[in-house]
Amino acid sequence: MPRLPGTSFLTDFHKVPCKFELDVPELGYLDNNPAQPLKSGTTIGLPLWLAELLALANRAPSSADEDAKSFISLNLPPSLSNEVMAALKADPRAVPLRDQSHNFYGLGTRILDLFEEREICAILRRTFVTRAADISLHAGKAGTTDDMGVGAGEDFLRGLEEWERKLFKKAHDGAKSTKEWMEGVKKH
Amino acid sequence: MALPLPSGLVPTEVAFLCEMEIITIVPRQRLESIPMLSGKTPALRPPRRADLPLWLALLLKKQRRANIVPPPWLLTASLQELVNLETNVNPEGFSEPPPPPMRSDGRGVARPYAATTSRTGDEDGDTKELTLSSPFLPSCTQDAPSGYLPFHWLEIAETLLAHAADDIPNAPEVRALLRDLQEVRAAKLRASTRHLEGGGGVLKLRGVGAMELAESRGFVLSVVDGVRKLGASIEAGRREEELERREGRGGDESDDDMEL
Repeated sequence: MPRLPGTSFLTDFHKVPCKFELDVPELGYLDNNPAQPLKSGTTIGLPLWLAELLALANRAPSSADEDAKSFISLNLPPSLSNEVMAALKADPRAVPLRDQSHNFYGLGTRILDLFEEREICAILRRTFVTRAADISLHAGKAGTTDDMGVGAGEDFLRGLEEWERKLFKKAHDGAKSTKEWMEGVKKH
Repeated sequence: MALPLPSGLVPTEVAFLCEMEIITIVPRQRLESIPMLSGKTPALRPPRRADLPLWLALLLKKQRRANIVPPPWLLTASLQELVNLETNVNPEGFSEPPPPPMRSDGRGVARPYAATTSRTGDEDGDTKELTLSSPFLPSCTQDAPSGYLPFHWLEIAETLLAHAADDIPNAPEVRALLRDLQEVRAAKLRASTRHLEGGGGVLKLRGVGAMELAESRGFVLSVVDGVRKLGASIEAGRREEELERREGRGGDESDDDMEL
């Protein structure tokens, strides 16, 4: 996968819960139990880049009749859990996405690559476009009032994650350049 | 990113392009025709009206050698009608762009604006069709239809209000109506991104002006891009399925062929 400049690589280090499918000796310290081997069935948060590799790689079957199994089985990270999805379904604007993950949609796309979750995809899309309209509204207003326009929407704007911050900047730049032109018309 | 400039035109560039628009003036002094790259300007003979590019009209206006005739859509009645249309009649979409201009040929027949009847030929005369686009359409002259916003409406209106406010009847009200119109349409453009939810990636922008596009281009493109990225994996899965289904069907057909 090509690495893009910016902060998107930080998503690689987002921990996702993984259930180990086999015993691993000497790895007990991951589960705060250095004396014992890591038992199969233990759930541990691993960074996404490692979890992806381990979940997709197959280990050799131990006996002839056994199917090839992966090392771990992935679970949905808490920021994409059912509770968050239900909250987003109810009102996309009320959830501060930045508290869930700094790069919420980036994480979402990575997870959607691994899981085929049509419902999550639909909810994420709906959240994105609904919040985008609000972001544009706030971006147009920002800087026009004395309190820098963040008075009412401060909580909302603090909850924006990476993609949404970029959106905010684009919308704000557009509104600003138009306003600058309008104020400059008289001078020429 | 290599270039700091955003993709597409920025508002100042759009405003520069809009100075190519043709606008009607009433000259106060005689001025001979000026040969220019874009063609000859008409000779000015007061008090006969003439159509000039906006930049020249503004220059003459600043030198007090001409008065500008505001286009019909910039009058209060037309703007009130438009605000009503945008808020009450059609609260979802944008008002329609102006229809292709027609001109009477003097015999009771309306012809497309650019069709010219050659005088030298026989009585019927053959018409020559010319397809005209933005700066060459008479969208801001006195012949422009009222009640329709041309592509460069916001820039023209702002420029005229700034430099030729004394030529526009009831300028303060026009200014206020323009603000209303701009606000209503900006809100629509913001809300229009919600239609992208289905992932179609298609946004209907018919009737949106050049300046409005320049203002929202970065934002709208980012939203489209974001929706595409969010749906990329599902879309890839759907395509694979479709491909498999087609291949499967192809395989069946070839089996059938073999049986035959």
